[in-house]
Amino acid sequence: MKEKHVIGILENSQLANLTESELLTVRGHAEDCLPCRRAYEAAQLSTLLIKERVAETIEPSPFFQTRVLAALREQQQNNVPVLSRLWKSAGVLVSSMALTTAALAAFSFLAPGAGTGASQETVAALSPYSAESVVLDQDPSDDQMTDEQVLSTIYADPDEAR
Amino acid sequence: MAGRFFRQRSLVEEAAQEVFLKAFTQLGSYEGRGSMEGWLTRIATNTCLNTLRAAKRRTEFTVSDLTEDENNWLDEKLSDVSSELHRSAERQFVAADLADRLLETLSPEDRLTLTLIDGEDASVKEVAEMTGWSESKVKVRAFRARKRVREAMEKLLSRRGAKLQVASGSESAGE
Repeated sequence: MKEKHVIGILENSQLANLTESELLTVRGHAEDCLPCRRAYEAAQLSTLLIKERVAETIEPSPFFQTRVLAALREQQQNNVPVLSRLWKSAGVLVSSMALTTAALAAFSFLAPGAGTGASQETVAALSPYSAESVVLDQDPSDDQMTDEQVLSTIYADPDEAR
Repeated sequence: MAGRFFRQRSLVEEAAQEVFLKAFTQLGSYEGRGSMEGWLTRIATNTCLNTLRAAKRRTEFTVSDLTEDENNWLDEKLSDVSSELHRSAERQFVAADLADRLLETLSPEDRLTLTLIDGEDASVKEVAEMTGWSESKVKVRAFRARKRVREAMEKLLSRRGAKLQVASGSESAGE
């Protein structure tokens, strides 16, 4: 085998870019040299395979665009600070609670008569219901005698009663 | 671009989605010097390379890995390598699958280089622009990838030949 092996030519550039003279050299040498023939065959097959691989195209699914847009939205939301996100979601609730609290505070401290501290005893005295009557479910007016009835009972004439 | 790296639709779409998200967030960094397409291609290349680097790759491709279809494809091509045979969709699929497995033996960078140069006939300069590597680096990668793929294919063919010889020998002995 006087000729130089051609494996170097096969590795230096792609097969399609080999010049006519280079191709002739490779083919001529490959006829007589088994390792170079194998290398040439392998190179041809590899190139064919890669071409086939590149020719294969993958079309995106119909939902791809929707998925990308959803992912973009999610990413944008994640970029917003935590406090801002919390305010966005619970802002209405928090502000309404704050308003209610402020209104209640205003009624408690600023309304006329409020804050004099009407004691429990005063309330009890004003109420016609005693605790006992409430517990025993009695009407306070049931057994109570009026002042006139009491006086007439005390000073009633015994003879008259007989 | 993602289709050059991955074959599974889900992986391609995942990579493409990541590319769009990155492009959207880094839109401010685009200075308008080069083309928008080039800028997007660079993002896509880097994203896909990173994904491939993170994935565990197969180091060796053996004859036992070949399916019957792949063996048939090789038979057809070896019988007449130079002629353009009938290209059915199924045959193309088998070839693409085989190519993918062959390319898996390469590093992600070498794989990309070989796919672009030998598969898509891109020039060294174009690949350099696409990846951000120097032209000499692209040349070295292409050379190395071509050599490795050819060696893997040679090894595969010789082992396959030996296997076929053993099979035909046992058949004739049986007769």
